[in-house]
Amino acid sequence: MSDYELVVESALDGVEHEFEGVTVSEVIGKSLVMVALPRSKFEEIESSMTKSCGLLLPEMEQSTQSKDSAITLWRLQKNQVLAYFSYEGNDAEVNIANRLNAPAYYTDQSDTWAMIRVSGPRSRDVLERICPIDLSKNVFSVGSVSRTIMEHIGTIIYRDGENSYVLLTMRSFGVSMLHAIEVSVKNVL
Amino acid sequence: MIINHPLLGPRDSEEFVYLGSADLIKRPNNWEEDASAEDFYQYQYIRENIAGDHRELWYHEQGDQSWLVVTRNTLSHEILNVELAQDVSREIGRGK
Repeated sequence: MSDYELVVESALDGVEHEFEGVTVSEVIGKSLVMVALPRSKFEEIESSMTKSCGLLLPEMEQSTQSKDSAITLWRLQKNQVLAYFSYEGNDAEVNIANRLNAPAYYTDQSDTWAMIRVSGPRSRDVLERICPIDLSKNVFSVGSVSRTIMEHIGTIIYRDGENSYVLLTMRSFGVSMLHAIEVSVKNVL
Repeated sequence: MIINHPLLGPRDSEEFVYLGSADLIKRPNNWEEDASAEDFYQYQYIRENIAGDHRELWYHEQGDQSWLVVTRNTLSHEILNVELAQDVSREIGRGK
């Protein structure tokens, strides 16, 4: 047995910056696990998830939520979903596998992403300068999720509220992404 | 340039990587026969240089990582049709 323990640290030190009409903050207390779906088991997996948490498999670029709203599933590819859920421990993979209780393949990705929330009435104005996809209220509705590029780097964007968006970028790029967002804030406000 | 992805809707071409002619799907199956050398030579090296509608492979690297067959006019860059490469491949009896 090792005589040390790995401690979870957030990618951006829990940063939270407030501007007029927009807040930029790190999302903490969330885990992210990839759930790979074997082609022959889509139906079996969906019925297991429905039974355990009231979850359905989302349509492409959409999300679904569990009955208690603690687990959100994102569908960015046909054969996999990402589980975004409230959990802070070191064993997110085991935790979600037990909660979903479905015969899929789980891979913990929590520590590989930096998660930044951009919220407030001006959030869309800030994001439309760095995000190439259409974020209009009706096109990118609440619950929509998409993988695209921002600042030339692959980024996932998820709309988790009327005026609230979560951006996921690779952890090593987190500080640069934060900078890009704040430059956009300064240009817009 | 906007590519109208069959599953995801209109996306900027910046998210995609271009590979080349969609004929690359038609890799010869006769690799055990003597005649295959000529077929593989044609497959590997010989390309039409089309001035007009061209079917080509694009990869949605910064998106859902799907392969697409895009029909693009090489003179005007107009995109006329977008299909999933998976569907095109199955239509001609390849893959599962």
